[in-house]
Amino acid sequence: MAEKTVDNRPVILKVENVGKKYVIRNMRTMPQNLTKGQMLRYKLKKYEKNDFWALKDISFEVRKGDRLAIVGRNGAGKSTLLKLISRITEPTEGRIEYYGRVAAMLEVGTGFNQELTGRENVYLNGAILGMSKEEIDKRFDGIVEFSEIGEFIDTPVKRYSSGMMVRLAFAVASTMDPDILIVDEVLSVGDMKFRDKCLRRMNEIATSGKTILCVSHVMGIVRGLCNRAIVLERGKMIYNGEVEHAIKLYNGIAEEARNTSRDLFDLPRPKYLNEKIRMMHVDIIENSTCIYKWNEPIRFLLRVEAKAEAKDVSLRAVFRCDSGTPASVAFLPLHADFKAGETKTIYVSVNQHNLAPGDYKVGLDLTQENPYDIFNNVDSITPEAFFITVKNLGSQDHEIEDDSARLWSNAWGNSRIMDVTGEVRDSE
Amino acid sequence: MGKKKYNQNTDIDEINGRKTVIEPNGKNFQYWKDIWRYRELAFNLAKRDITVRYKQTVIGMGWSIISPVINMLIMSFIFGSVANLESDGSAPYSVMVYAGIIPWTLFSRNLSITSTTFLSSAALMKKVYFPRIISPLGASFAALIDSAISFAVLLLIILISFFLNGFTPCWRILLVPVFLLMPIVLGFSVGLFLSPLNIRFRDLNQAIPFLLQIGQYVTPVAYSFAVACAAVPQKIRFVYELNPVAGAINAVRWCIIPDNAFHWPSFISSLVFIAVFIPVGIKAFRKGERTFVDLV
Repeated sequence: MAEKTVDNRPVILKVENVGKKYVIRNMRTMPQNLTKGQMLRYKLKKYEKNDFWALKDISFEVRKGDRLAIVGRNGAGKSTLLKLISRITEPTEGRIEYYGRVAAMLEVGTGFNQELTGRENVYLNGAILGMSKEEIDKRFDGIVEFSEIGEFIDTPVKRYSSGMMVRLAFAVASTMDPDILIVDEVLSVGDMKFRDKCLRRMNEIATSGKTILCVSHVMGIVRGLCNRAIVLERGKMIYNGEVEHAIKLYNGIAEEARNTSRDLFDLPRPKYLNEKIRMMHVDIIENSTCIYKWNEPIRFLLRVEAKAEAKDVSLRAVFRCDSGTPASVAFLPLHADFKAGETKTIYVSVNQHNLAPGDYKVGLDLTQENPYDIFNNVDSITPEAFFITVKNLGSQDHEIEDDSARLWSNAWGNSRIMDVTGEVRDSE
Repeated sequence: MGKKKYNQNTDIDEINGRKTVIEPNGKNFQYWKDIWRYRELAFNLAKRDITVRYKQTVIGMGWSIISPVINMLIMSFIFGSVANLESDGSAPYSVMVYAGIIPWTLFSRNLSITSTTFLSSAALMKKVYFPRIISPLGASFAALIDSAISFAVLLLIILISFFLNGFTPCWRILLVPVFLLMPIVLGFSVGLFLSPLNIRFRDLNQAIPFLLQIGQYVTPVAYSFAVACAAVPQKIRFVYELNPVAGAINAVRWCIIPDNAFHWPSFISSLVFIAVFIPVGIKAFRKGERTFVDLV
C-alpha cells in the first residue's frame, strides 16, 4: 500500500479483532454397555458443550464511499459479520466503531404483516427500518411508483402475489437514507425485469457516494457494485483488497490453488449415469500454471477406464465462466470403442479457443451417440474437471494485430469473434 | 491525487454523524437515547397490534368491551349473588368487581406480553436492530388502549348503578389513571425480569398463563380485600396483605368507592415491588437482549 497515494477519505467503519463465539450444545450419544452409575451420569449431563468461533480476529476499515463486498462460501461467517455490524447480536471480543446511521437490509419484507394493507405496511416497515413518519410521507409516492403496486396499495398484503410483496418491501428498504447501507443477498428478488431495476437502484445508491457493505453469491453483482472486497473462510478473513482477486479466491482458482494434475474418479457425478465408463485422471501438459496466453493451445491427457463395453464414445469440453454461465464448448468426435476393463488415454488439444481473458472452469463429458442422433452423456464432470485462466492480452502477444482488445472488459463477453473484416467506404 | 494529510477531526465533521461503538458485554451508552429515537416504532407496533387484532371481525373494538363485561357479570353472579359475599362499602358488587378487573388485566397482560416478547418478536429482532424494549412497550400501549375503553365502560356502569342503586362515586375517581400506572409498571417490570429466563426455559411459556390464572383467584379481583382478609387465618394474614397486585387493586377501589379505607400495607408492598423490579427487570432484560439472537 505504501507506493499508492494516501487515501484521504475518512474511515467510517472500523472493525478491530472482532470474534464471535457460539456455544453449541450437542446431545450426547450414549455408548452401549454402561453400568447403571455411568448411565445415570449420562442422563444427568445430556448435552456436551462445544465452543464454535463463527468469526475470529476480523479487522478491516471501510472508508466513506467504499463499496465493500464480503464474499465467502456458506458458513464462512458473512451473515454473522453483518449481524454484528448492524447490532443484531453483539461480538464476543473486539470492537466495532462507526459514524452515522447504519441501515441493514438483511431480509426483504421484515415485519410485513399479512393482514395489513400495502399502505399500512409501508409505514410499519419504514418505522422498523428506523424512518420517521415525515420521512416516509415524503417518499411514499416514490415507493408506490417504484414497486409498481399502483391501485393495490390499499389491499391487504395477503392478497398480493409474492412478487408484489417483495417489490413493495424492496421499494421501502431502498429508500432508506443511511450513512452505511448493509445488504445481504437481497437483490435476488422478483422477476428479471424487477431485478434489473433493483440493481439499477443499488448502482444509483453506490454511485451517490454512499458506503455499502454487500454480501452476495452472485459475482456479477459483486463486480458491478463493489470496489473492494474481503474474503472470509471458516470465520477467518483470508483476503482484503481487490474485487477481482477476491472473486478468484472465492472460486477456489487462485494461482496457488491450481493443479495441472487431478484425479477425477472420485469427483461427484450426476445420478443418472450408469457408470460403465469413467474418467479417471487428467494431466494438463505443456503448461505448468494453467495460465494461458490469448489463443495459446490448451492440451491435456485424459485417462478413461471402461468397466463394461462401450462403443462410439466422444468427448465434449464445456468452458464455463466463474459465474457458471457456459462460455464456449469444444467437441472431439473420437468415436472410440472400449472393451470391458480397458483403460485408454485420450490426448486433447484445443488449438484455438478464442476465449476472452478471465477464469474458466472446464467441465468434461463423455458422450455416446444413440440411434436418434442424440448425444447421451455416459460420464460427466460438471462444472469443473480443471481450471484455466486466460491472461489479459499483453504487448507480447504478437499474434493479435489490433490493440483494441488489449485490456478486456467483462462487459464485452467471454469469447471473441475473430474473423471480422470491414472497411470505410465513401457515401454515394 | 495530492498526498493530503489524514486529519481525524475534520473527518467526523464531514460525516456529520454520531459515533457508535459496539463492544462485548453491552457497553453501549446510547441505549436510552436510542429508545427515544425509536419511540415512533413503539407506536407503530401498537397500531399494528390493534389493527390486526380486529381485522375481519364484525364487532371490532367491541370485543374489548364485551370480554371484561362478561367476566364482570359472571364474577358478580357467582361471588356476589350465589356465594353472597359482601361488597366494599356502599358500592354495588358489579362496580367493585369491575374496578378490580381493570388493574388486574393491566397487570397480567403487561406481564405476559413482556415476558414472551423475545419469542413473539423473534422474527423481527433477528433481522433488524432497535432497542428491544421497544417491542414490549408497543404491545403495552396496545393493552393500554383496551384498558382505556374498559375504563369508559366502568364510568358507564357507575352511571347505571347511580340510577339503579343510588351509588355515588367519590371525587377521587379522577386519580384512577394515576393508580392504574401501578399494575402497568409492576406487570411490565416483572415481565422484563422473566423475559430472558423464557428464552432458556420455555417451560415458563406454559407456566405463566397458568400462574396468572391462579393469581386472579388469589388476588381480590372477584371479591373484596376485606372479605378475603377475614377468611385468611390471623397468623399468615400479613403475607396475604403483602400481595403487590392487591395493593394496586385496593388503591383503584379506594378511588372509586367513597367509604373505602386506604390500605397502606398492600400499597407500600406494591411500591416496594415496583422499586425493586424496575432496576432488576431492566438489568435482566438488557442482559438477555444482547445475546438472545444466538439462543432463540
